[in-house]
Amino acid sequence: MPSDRRVIDILREDLNLTGTKEGCGAGECGGCTILVDGESRLSCLMLAAQLEGRSVTTIEGIASEDRLHPLQEAFVEHGAVQCGFCIPGMVLSAVDLLQRNPNPTRMEIRQGLSGNLCRCTGYQKIVDAVKAGALKIK
Amino acid sequence: MLVKSDIFKIGSAIPRADALSKVTGQEKYAADYYSPNFVWAAVKRAGVPHARLKSIAVEAARKLPGVLSVLTHKDLPGSNRQGIIFKDQPVLVDAKIRHCGDAIVLVLAEDKPTLNKALHLINFDYEPLPAIFDPEKALEERAPLVHENNPDGNLLQHISVKVGDVKEAFLECTTIIEGSFEVPFQEHAYLETEAGWAYLAEDGRLVIVASTQTPFRDRFEIASALGLNIDKIRVIAPYLGGAFGGKDGLTVQSLLALAALNSQGRPVKMWWDREESFLAGVKRLPARMYYRLGAKADGTLHALDCRLYFDTGPYAHLSSEIMALAMEHAGGPYRIPHTSIKGWCAYTNNPPGGPFRGFGVPQVTAAMEQMIDMLAAKLKMDPLEIRRQNAVRQGDRNCVGVTLVNSTGALDCLETLAAHPLWQERKKWKESAGPFKLRGVGLTCMAHGSGYGPVIPDEANAKIELTDEGKLRIFCGVSDMGQGNASTCLQIAGDILGQDADSMELILPDTDRSLPSGSASASRCTYTYGNALIRAAQAFKQRLFERASTLLMIPTSDDLSLIPGGIRHLPSGKEVPLSQLAQLMDPSERTCTHYYRAPVAQEKLELHSSSKVFGLPHILFSYAAHLTYLEVDELTGEIEIKTYLSVSDCGRVINPQIYEQQIQGGIAQGLGYALSEDFIVEEGKGLTPDLSTYIIPTTLDVPEMVSIPVEIDEPTGPFGLKGIGEISINGPLPAVANALADACGIRVSRSPFTPERVLSAMKEKAPHEVKP
Amino acid sequence: MRKVLLPHTSEELWEVLRAEPQAAVYAGGTDLLVKLRQGLVDPSCLVCLERIEELKGVQEFGHEVFIGACSTHAYLLANPIIRSNFPVLTKALELLGSPPIRNMGTIGGNICTASPAADSLPPLYVLEAEVEIRSKNTSRRMALKEFIQGPGKTSLQPGEIVSGIWVKKAPGYNLYHFEKVGQRKALAISIASLAGLLRASEKGVIEEARFAWGSVGPTIITSPEVEKALVGNRLSRPILEKAACLARSAVEPIDDIRASGEYRRLVSGNLMVRLLTLQREVCH
Repeated sequence: MPSDRRVIDILREDLNLTGTKEGCGAGECGGCTILVDGESRLSCLMLAAQLEGRSVTTIEGIASEDRLHPLQEAFVEHGAVQCGFCIPGMVLSAVDLLQRNPNPTRMEIRQGLSGNLCRCTGYQKIVDAVKAGALKIK
Repeated sequence: MLVKSDIFKIGSAIPRADALSKVTGQEKYAADYYSPNFVWAAVKRAGVPHARLKSIAVEAARKLPGVLSVLTHKDLPGSNRQGIIFKDQPVLVDAKIRHCGDAIVLVLAEDKPTLNKALHLINFDYEPLPAIFDPEKALEERAPLVHENNPDGNLLQHISVKVGDVKEAFLECTTIIEGSFEVPFQEHAYLETEAGWAYLAEDGRLVIVASTQTPFRDRFEIASALGLNIDKIRVIAPYLGGAFGGKDGLTVQSLLALAALNSQGRPVKMWWDREESFLAGVKRLPARMYYRLGAKADGTLHALDCRLYFDTGPYAHLSSEIMALAMEHAGGPYRIPHTSIKGWCAYTNNPPGGPFRGFGVPQVTAAMEQMIDMLAAKLKMDPLEIRRQNAVRQGDRNCVGVTLVNSTGALDCLETLAAHPLWQERKKWKESAGPFKLRGVGLTCMAHGSGYGPVIPDEANAKIELTDEGKLRIFCGVSDMGQGNASTCLQIAGDILGQDADSMELILPDTDRSLPSGSASASRCTYTYGNALIRAAQAFKQRLFERASTLLMIPTSDDLSLIPGGIRHLPSGKEVPLSQLAQLMDPSERTCTHYYRAPVAQEKLELHSSSKVFGLPHILFSYAAHLTYLEVDELTGEIEIKTYLSVSDCGRVINPQIYEQQIQGGIAQGLGYALSEDFIVEEGKGLTPDLSTYIIPTTLDVPEMVSIPVEIDEPTGPFGLKGIGEISINGPLPAVANALADACGIRVSRSPFTPERVLSAMKEKAPHEVKP
Repeated sequence: MRKVLLPHTSEELWEVLRAEPQAAVYAGGTDLLVKLRQGLVDPSCLVCLERIEELKGVQEFGHEVFIGACSTHAYLLANPIIRSNFPVLTKALELLGSPPIRNMGTIGGNICTASPAADSLPPLYVLEAEVEIRSKNTSRRMALKEFIQGPGKTSLQPGEIVSGIWVKKAPGYNLYHFEKVGQRKALAISIASLAGLLRASEKGVIEEARFAWGSVGPTIITSPEVEKALVGNRLSRPILEKAACLARSAVEPIDDIRASGEYRRLVSGNLMVRLLTLQREVCH
């Protein structure tokens, strides 16, 4: 494994985990967001060497055997998903947000997701979904 | 791991069927295809706006280990010309480069690093040509020609429409307003850039999986460009990661086809990175619009004269149609007895123009809705009043003279807006601005015509199948680019056929399996395909009842009811599972198809044009009224939109959740167009080549939005609906412009209204006195 | 293929830098990896500092605070020592980039990239921060404003890294201010920014003031003239307009794709006028 291989390429090409998306390759869109040791990171700006000793969670990993993650349920129920390309990154950023702030206001949700661009939704239903997801988690 | 879903019912806000697979990362987009032995393909692009291609040096690239193939125009069978109506775009340039993103060489390689190295090793020799970058200048005598053999020079299309006698009419007006407006390129910036996957199947057919709005039409374009038989080409359209018009037509498809024919049987992947998408993808046409609007003393609109100049860049694409639709909306949703509307669409060496949600209507709405407010100000009339007074009703004619025969809810939208607390409380809100902030509200009213117009048939073929297992398989004929039409197909079929998510299956567009149903565009997806699907479902229901009544040995099918997974005879309670029914039906009976073609306007317009006009007039319009609350900072010129209200007449609402999704999404893109999306081009080169320089709204840049439907039943629509996909993007720019004028008395003629442009305009005007 | 090395201790780091003198050093990668992708840099070796614990964290030493260079912006935003002592820095970091970028980007990286538009720099300038520079055998401190020499240029020598930033607690200042002007409200490179620390008497008279402007010069701009104009006065409109004029003379903005120099100059002054809103806090 070349140590300079981008983490996003390892996930998508080597591990066949195509849930993590590339939208810009330059850290500007958040589509490639993953969790590294529980914190949101941009996998297009991480290199293979940096994974040593870390645990990585992608969108494929947050649901349990028989149940979606509460945030995933909320995204479905509240119509937060349109084309869906931004959604994996958006959900993982929301997971990070709720870990730091389990009861965010709508403005705090917007701030928490400000690194994830969406071109379809106008964000409103995504905010609705995260607010509902936060309640579900409690 | 299932999210509970109700039985499909029209009118219910049921969650979309595709949400689950998308939220778990399971759904595969065209960009998500990989396989053990695939090959990467990419093109070398021109980088210069106008030049004669002399020679191409590919040997160094060919020799690079890991490079499978390096192809130029010499390796292309067929015409090497693609395009929707005019086939004027080379797949790989042979003679002339017409814009910086023109593709010159196609490379196939084992991996990305090798691919990039090979692209770097390719050189081409060219003779630069004088270039043209301004659509008005392009029409002058000595302008350099983009297409030398075009008899009209750099003119793609000129259309002139008139109603009544505008010259006389202006003499009868007491108040006349003039204005000129300039709107820029807009970049779609979908999260999934152009992507696709192709391979030669064992039977020798080309299979292409692409992020495309037009899988059926694509085959024709590819076949003609590469000299292939249409039957040999299969195009599959998975869910797209956004498109908004930018994937209407060929992007990667012909290049992928060429690559797959040269990849020694291996699958090929092409995926434009963001910079390539910016460079090569089509953009919203920039426009310059010159308006003259006259009214009587009481505010009745009487005369409109406008000249519109559109820049199509190097190729025709659908720009003539875009201009035609713009012209039809140039006068807005108002009664204007005398109009003269002229449009010119010119070739330049700028980035290529093409479809983008709104398709010409955002441009003219930006102009007309500001003109209305300017007129209202001059007449000292309330902006809502003047719109109410002049709004079209069913039976009126629009500004190109077409009678509005279908539902016309412009007034209803305005009335609903007028009654809303946001309108009622606007003065109080404006008065409570904080230090250094000025507040204003802005109103707009708009229409949006759906469908293709009278020439190109707006048709669909729906298909439903009862599978061996007794599931109802719905074939979605139109690409789902995020607007949810695939889910809506399930909802429509599920409602009529009494099924739920567990008893239905959805097949996305596949030219081998679905039937031709037109493009995902023009706000016609659910209207046209839905109408076909309803008829197919109703016919199929009858057939299923007939077979069931045979099976149940009952004389009529009157007392039968479809339930999830079966059919029940209500009086006796006897049921037959669909799976059993399926076994008893011949396979040929288990598929039901139905054709639908949308009605078109019958009227002849007083129209002159330089070449054949497609896409004007239309017959079905959606309407909306928008209101925005705006705050502008006196020290920096920054605008913040505090709240946005939209009231829309899109007929009946099939799914309130999807309705809001479309409206909210369009507003957000419209706000970007208004405030921050400045696609800057200099000498044909894009100076905002990526998402760090081209600024689309984040969560902190879009306000909370209120979207209210005015549900006027549209009898010709499936369950009474009309198109909804585009209308909301038309409102924000003029709403923001009107609110800015309300806040501080300035208008900025060239959008977007960046802080710099706003502050500059504020400085020119006399400064406000502000209490600290 | 590039070598990517991940030293875990300073000793390992010095060894790596000795063996690979041409290596490009990074912590979060949010600047370097973007440049790499654009082809602006092409090092054969990359050294990532993110595992070196001694380079992370915030420690109080009496009236000074030491911030480890590899502390991420997110870490600093959550750190009580930073939050309570340096609200002007906190305010700026809240507006930097976006949440995942703040999880990855470090204050040392922001300093060493030395972009004139870096969000952490104006606050660090008004806090009169010093950088600590280490090599295998040396350690020195240097005023941040001398360390940064020009756009993208610092005084870092081969074999050296910035190991941290020393910031004096500034209890004498009772007012702080930070404003950033961008093309949107997140993921925005600053067009103009202003950081300020002031001390006002009980009656609202300014006794001391420090200002720093970002994105309006080759490096962060400071101006003793502007500061002097405020001292001895209340924050009134006329005084601030005067300061605004002086600010406009102090800055050296350029035209770029985000804004013109003219706009930046105008706004650099206007941002001073915003301080009028502090007046409310001052008057009891």
